[in-house]
Parts: sequence; structure tokens; C-alpha cells
Amino acid sequence: MVAKAFSEVRVLDCTQGVAGSYCAKWLADFGAEVIKVERPGDGDVTRKMGPFLRDESHPEKSVTFFYLNTNKKSITLNFRSETGSKIFKKLAQKADVVVENFKPGKMSEAGLSYDVLNEINPRLIMTSITPFGQTGPYRDYEATNLTVYGLGGAMYTMRAGDKPMGRPVVEGGLQAEYVTGVLSFIATVAALFQRVDTGRGTWIDISAMECVASTLMGHVAEYPYMGLIRRTNPFAIHGYPIGYSVPCKDGWISLTPGLGGAPNIAILIGKPELQDDPLFAKPSARMDNPEKFDALILPWLEKRDKWKIAKEAQELRLAFTPVLSPGELLEDEQIQARKFFANAKHPVMGEVTYPGAAAKLSETPWQEGRAPLLGEHNGEIYGSLGYSKEELIKLGTEGVI
Amino acid sequence: MGYKLLDGIRVLDLTMVFAGPVSVKILADLGADVIKIESVQRSEVYTRANVYPENEPGEEPWNRGCFFHTLNAGKHGVSLNLGSEEGRELFKRLVKISDIVIENFSPRVMDNWGLNYEELKKIKPDIIMVSMSGLGHYGPLRDFYMYVPGMEGMSGLTFVTGYPDEPPLLSGYAYGDWVTGANAAAALLTALYYRKTTGKGQYVDVAGREAACCHIGEIIMDCFLNGRNRMRVGNQHSSASPHGCYRCKGEDNWVNIAVENDEQWQNFCQAMGNPPWTKEARFTDAPNRWRNRKELDKLIEDWTSQYDHYEIMGLLQKTGVPSGAVLNMKEVNLDSHLIERGFFQVIDHGEGIGKRPLAIHMPAQFSGIESFIHKRAPCFGQDNEYVFCELLGISKEELARLEQEKVLGGTPNFPPGRPTRTDLIEEQKAGWFDPDYLSELRGKYGEDIGLTD
Repeated sequence: MVAKAFSEVRVLDCTQGVAGSYCAKWLADFGAEVIKVERPGDGDVTRKMGPFLRDESHPEKSVTFFYLNTNKKSITLNFRSETGSKIFKKLAQKADVVVENFKPGKMSEAGLSYDVLNEINPRLIMTSITPFGQTGPYRDYEATNLTVYGLGGAMYTMRAGDKPMGRPVVEGGLQAEYVTGVLSFIATVAALFQRVDTGRGTWIDISAMECVASTLMGHVAEYPYMGLIRRTNPFAIHGYPIGYSVPCKDGWISLTPGLGGAPNIAILIGKPELQDDPLFAKPSARMDNPEKFDALILPWLEKRDKWKIAKEAQELRLAFTPVLSPGELLEDEQIQARKFFANAKHPVMGEVTYPGAAAKLSETPWQEGRAPLLGEHNGEIYGSLGYSKEELIKLGTEGVI
Repeated sequence: MGYKLLDGIRVLDLTMVFAGPVSVKILADLGADVIKIESVQRSEVYTRANVYPENEPGEEPWNRGCFFHTLNAGKHGVSLNLGSEEGRELFKRLVKISDIVIENFSPRVMDNWGLNYEELKKIKPDIIMVSMSGLGHYGPLRDFYMYVPGMEGMSGLTFVTGYPDEPPLLSGYAYGDWVTGANAAAALLTALYYRKTTGKGQYVDVAGREAACCHIGEIIMDCFLNGRNRMRVGNQHSSASPHGCYRCKGEDNWVNIAVENDEQWQNFCQAMGNPPWTKEARFTDAPNRWRNRKELDKLIEDWTSQYDHYEIMGLLQKTGVPSGAVLNMKEVNLDSHLIERGFFQVIDHGEGIGKRPLAIHMPAQFSGIESFIHKRAPCFGQDNEYVFCELLGISKEELARLEQEKVLGGTPNFPPGRPTRTDLIEEQKAGWFDPDYLSELRGKYGEDIGLTD
């Protein structure tokens, strides 16, 4: 049997949506027993969120739910009800981690604050994920992926180099959510790590806005160092036009000429006599005249396919890479050789192919698996707490589970 | 308690630029003891040499760059030439007293030096080694040269970012590097926890492109399962409207508004003062609003452009409508919410730079575990004596000899320090400059910003 990194760890995933589910997915995919605690009836909101398999809106056909909840178990529980709150405490007693993303204060209102849970189980780690954190002036603000991404400062830089005053655009997909999910996972594991020695749990307060702002890395320090507020990726800092998407025959390609000169570009486009031309030899010349550089290279690119260009350029040690559409990933030879895509059989969705491991670990590899059906594990989990079938039926009719 | 979560974990950081250093910075924020290794022959030129305080490279430009300061705060710094036999021997002795080695060289480099995981494991059986690269450490394209554009562009992320009628858009802040680094840190913590509970180390292979694919999982699956190759949609929502980025009063001032249901729409209309057009049939329900979103967006922008973006956010939040100012780098640095929660650490960089607020990279608060402020990012070769003499027990004479032979040293081979071309940035409008930045920061962080104790 393959070793699992979190084989002894039990997690209650009480989150809805993307960020919290993604955090708990990491734990589940590396072997933790993750129990998704869903609302009776509807379940996690992502069950209602598209895309759906064959566009059929159905709680067991949400592609988003599947992706974010692989390898988890699902139970239903209304822990706002008195009985539900009691049951939750029983679950928390035997858990190592609770991940939740209710609005600040909601867990306390349900009588399930960290203090209460910590008293029942001093080893418990609770990871609370909210848009703005449990404190501060924006604490109770409403937010979505779009608004958090803008508040985190990332969006202001999202403009093409030739349209620096244009309308900013959000990064594709739901990046504010994923960013928050990964960082929540890291914080949770760090808490588990220290617990081995101290025996103590902790309450982790994560703010999505801060998570997004942390992705700015050094760029946010351009202001305190020289008062610069970037609108895009300035050529003048890099000394070269970095990575913008340039059209070629069958799509787009990104060019990164490199920090030094790029005389090999002249060779690539069949004009070796231009190797010593400042446009190719000196980044500063390109910096001053990006359009002259473009006029030489664009017509050549337009007649060729992206993979062909990339491979020829790579032979010349040029960092040219194709801009791939999601659909083109399946045919990518590197992806295939690394068996990046995973497969799982789902009782309703059938055979499902989805993105696999974000990292390959030699001893405790990432595990493929499917997402649970709503309440699929009620019998197993509540049974282990000592509830009989009759009691479960009663709880069901009362709307507790 | 001044307890550090990763107390006693020693990391050898061989990485450069953004992806690797941010990964290790996350560990440093969690309290790991990091030794960053550069060499006289090959220092972190790109991050050390860019964006200087007050745009002045000074006499030691390599100790003044803001990118380096941000991503290496709290780390020790040594210089060591792994290209030399003696350098590699010293490195191996460091491995013996370390827990983690993390590198982002081209895939063949560590092999060529005889420092791959199999070799390191012989020296330290429970070592965890992390290799970060663009496309992974094996496979036919493993030697592709690439930077952020490759990690984002080859994952599908760039393709789905931007407006429908414009080219795929690369991020303006090296997001693909962050994704690579954060996922490497996540994998590393996983391996570290496993080692803590079993005593076993392992090897971790992180491909930045694959990590980025994981961040658009549902989009890639939509394509596999439904044959839909998702195009760029700008800021649109798939079914709700209004949902987008709207122009506000003043130059380059924007606010995001995301109305996702009818209740929010009613509240939104109320916040605008219920103008008559909101009652028109074409905007009554969600499907109609979505169908007529272009006209709707125009009418909304007529309203937003009368106010500053913070004002709009305040007005809309009062009625429970999700909205947020699109903050620029100045506003992020001065934002009261971020400051109150301690997102920025004021770090003293000594004479000529002084105190500057720098972001943290593990933005989480742990109850009962006190946070701590990092020391400044290391000057080049700053901790050679501590690491080689104190930790490895080398004599000072020996250290001097190694320095003479350029196995290590205090001065890197470095290109001349050049100020940033502010004229070009302004001309190309790639950014703008606030001449009063120091006084703005002093108003928020204290009068000693830019000064040293």
C-alpha cells in the first residue's frame, strides 16, 4: 500500500464554495479522512454552480463540485439546529481539523466558537476562511472572487502593455479563491506540524484579501521604495518586453527575449545579418522601440504554428512558449508523459478526467478519487457515533441531517 | 508565546528570482530557519538589482533591490560556489545539518553537480528535497527554457484571461511564479508533516505549469467533459449581471461590482437612488439584465463615474452589495484594513534605506502563537561567518582562504547599478509615480519610515 502523508488526520470540511473546499481537497488528496459537512437538501453551493456535465443542472453533476471535493466523504447536517449543534460537537471531539468559511461570528452564534470547540478538544485546529478575516474595518463586507481580487491590488496590474490605461480585467477562472485555498492549506498543515510537539490546537484566521495581496510579491514594494504604482508589467523594469501574447498562425505565443541581448532571435527569423543590430543585441534598444522590434518579428511569426516556433526557438535557447488553450492540454506530450491528468469513476457522472497532482511527492503521492454524493456517508459516520438507523431516519425528517 | 510553527526546521534555499524565493519566504514566515545560498559568480541579479530606494543604486546596488528585500526577509544569506569541488563539499556538510533543500535550477544542474536527491539522501537519509521547474523534472520537454509566461501560458490560464476581443493576457505581477512557489510550499509542508510523524524524507517535483493547471481545474474539466474550450470573458459572470469593473471619478480609478441575485439588485438600485431606468423591463430580472448587460454597464458607469471608488464601495457595502475598489499599489500600501491586521511588517534595512513596510507571504493569524518581525533580507554573503564557522566549525583562516579563492565572498560579480528608467515608464504609461510616497507612508506607519534606528 502506498503511504499517505495525512493518514491519521481527520478533517471536518464545513465550507461552501471554492477556497475552503480546495484547502480540504489538498488534505484529502494526500490521505486525510475529510468529511464534508453539507446543508441538508441543497448541499454545498458549488453543487448548484456550473459547469455541469453535459450542461445538465443536477447536484451530482457539477464539475466544480467534483473537482474541489475529490477523496472526501459527505454527510449532511444542519448545525444551526440544537440537535445538529450537539452532533457537530461529537464530531469535533474526534476531529483534528475543522475548516469553515462562515461569516465572522456565525460559528459563535451557533454555539460553536473556537473556544467552545477547543474546550471539548484541546488538540483541535480550526481554520476560518473569510474574505477579510475575523477583525478589521472590512470584516463584515460582502465579497466575491472579483471584488476580492480587485481589493488585493492584483487587478490594477492586469492590463496589456499597449493599453496601460484600459479597463483592468480579473485573472481567468477563480484565482482569488484558489490562492486563498492553497494558503489556508499551508497554514493548516503548519498548525498540525507544531501540534505533534506541543499537543495544542490553534485557531487560524485567513483573509482572502491578504492572500491575494501576498501574490503581488515584491511588486507591492515598488511604492515604498520609489513611489511607483505599476499599471502593467513595465518594459522599463524588465529591460525587455516580457511574455506578452503575440499572434502566430494557429494561435498565440509568448516571447521572453531574455535579460541580456537576444541575437538568436535574428537567427530564428532567418536574418542572421541583424544579430548585431541593437534591437536584438541590446535590451535598452527594445525598451525604447518595442514597435520596431515587433515590425521585424511579427510577420515571421504570423506564418508559423506555435509549437513549431517554440521548438525551434528553444533549440536556440530562447524562452518562447506556446499559449495553450485548456483543450490543447490533453494533447500535450509533456503532460502525457507525466500522466498529469487523473481519472475516477463517479456513480452519476461516469468516467471523469480531471487535473491531477499539483506536485509529485516520491513517498506519499497524490491520490486520485471521486467526489462524494450528497450525504453518501451519513450511515457510516453517524453510525460510528452510535446512532441507529431509526434515529437517523428521525433526524432526517426533522431536517437535522 | 513567541513560539514559531516551524521552529528548528532548517532550509537550504538555492532558488532565485520569484517562484523559489516566495516559496521559501512562506516557510520563513512560519518560523523556519532559512539559509539562502548564492555565489560570487552567480548572485540573484534580477531581484537584487531592481527598484532601489529613491531609485538610487548606491555603492552596493546588490544590497538595495526591493524585490530581493521582500522575498528574502528573515533569511540568512551566504555565498558559496557550487560549481567548485570545495563549494560542493561545504554544501554537503550543510545538508547534513539541514531538513530541506529547495532548488529551481534547470533540471540537469543538480545532477551534473552530483547533488541530486539520491546523493543528498546518502548524506542525510531523511532530507526533503524540492525541485521546482517550469514543466517538471522528467518528460520530453523538461529542458524548455521558460519564465512566468510559460507557466501561465502553457497551463491554459493566460488563454482564459483578458477580454474576448483582445489577446490572451499575461498577469502584470508574475502570478505564475507565485502559483509555482505556493504550491511547492504546500507540497513541502505535506512532506514535512509526513517526516515529522514517520521520520521519512522524500523528493518533491513541482512543475509550475501543472500547478497553474490545478488553479483552473473546473475550466479544464468543462473542456474535457463538455467539449467547451472556454474563451476569455473579461470580468463577466456566466449568468449574473451587473458584474464587472466600472470607471470612477478621476484618472484610472475603478470599482468592481458583483450583483449575483435579485435581492442584491434591489439594494443596488436603492444605493443609486432608484433612477427610473432601473425599472425598465429590459433590466427587471436576471436573464434580462444578463442579456442587456452592455447597456446596463453603460448606465451604471454613468453613476460610478461621479464618485471615487472607495465612496462607491462604502455606499454599496451599506446595502450589502458585493463591491470593492480596485486598489493600486499605493492604496494597498496605505489600506487601513491591511495595516490594522498587520499585513505589512516595517523592517529596518539600515543606513541609506531605513524602515520600509514589506508584505508578509503567509497571511494567517494563529491564536496563541505570537507573530514576529523579520530581520531584513541578508546583504550578500552576510552570514558566511555564522554558517561556515559557527555551524560547520571552519576556522576564520580557512574562511579567508576560501574567500580569496572565490569559493565564497562578500562581493558578488555584479553589473553596474542602474536606476529604473522612470522617463520610459511615464511615457509608456506603464505606471505612475507619487513624489510624496515617503510622507504618505509616514502618515500611516510612523515618522521613521525611510530612516534607521
